[in-house]
Amino acid sequence: MTRRRHLFRPSARGGFDVELREDERALLAALPARLIAALERVGASDAPVPESLRRLLPPAYLTDAAAESAYVRLVRSELVAEHRAALDLLVATAGTTHLRASELESWLLAVNDLRLVLGTSLEVTEDVRELDPDDARYGEWVCYHYLSYLAEEAVEALSGLLPPANPLAGDDLPDDPWGDPPGGLRWDGTPAPGG
Amino acid sequence: MSEPLLPSARAEGEGRVGSTGTLTRLAHDEEVGEETRADHPWLVVVWNDPINLMSYVTYVFQKLFGYSREKATKLMLDVHHKGRAVVASGPRERAELDVARLHRHGLWATLEHPD
Repeated sequence: MTRRRHLFRPSARGGFDVELREDERALLAALPARLIAALERVGASDAPVPESLRRLLPPAYLTDAAAESAYVRLVRSELVAEHRAALDLLVATAGTTHLRASELESWLLAVNDLRLVLGTSLEVTEDVRELDPDDARYGEWVCYHYLSYLAEEAVEALSGLLPPANPLAGDDLPDDPWGDPPGGLRWDGTPAPGG
Repeated sequence: MSEPLLPSARAEGEGRVGSTGTLTRLAHDEEVGEETRADHPWLVVVWNDPINLMSYVTYVFQKLFGYSREKATKLMLDVHHKGRAVVASGPRERAELDVARLHRHGLWATLEHPD
């Protein structure tokens, strides 16, 4: 059995050593460009976001339009800037062999943003499905799964640095206040599958 | 730009993030008297989606709310199996901030107020 390859290993000098091949680094440096450009077009505007970016800038209020536009006015530009900052950092540091913990956090956010956009475009569902190598979207599909692997690795590395949990946190949360049927509802109010 | 916008303030026992930035102005001060009634907190709801990894969602709940791995995993599984779950609750100002931090992390989060 071969030993599992870890992409981010705790470094003796703090932070993480990054063990990626050159082709992986080239991919990470190139992938964010389109998303960065799309975020730039949205900018600080409070106009409706294009469908491809909806996962990065989702609504906070589903039924209160006034509260939603107030939320967008307050938060939109800062959220866009934060998404961009993480993507910019990924591009700038894709070649590095060492990341500080805060930089790896930004990598994780950027990689997850890329997954959200790719996954939306690929119409990913919870059913695992293979794509034929001849499919026009096969390249995107491979990228998506590579980024999933990268995200899993970053989560595992960063989980070791979480502060001790607050044992009382969340004790007061209501458990399923909606009384939904088993399986519950989806985002748009339709029943979740498999219920 | 390198300062994290949405640090794990709750994990450190604080209700709000730093002294600058838009998100600190999320206070609906004029409504606080009404909204902070303990019996009617605002609910922070996270919705199931097919893209975010289960490990990632668990990690985000731990990071943002200071939950134990067990608690965060239970909430993640609730989201996954039931379609949605309440992951935090409190005054409107803090709930809205939590939603913004979840949005920053790519999770589908909304605010609800039980009437």
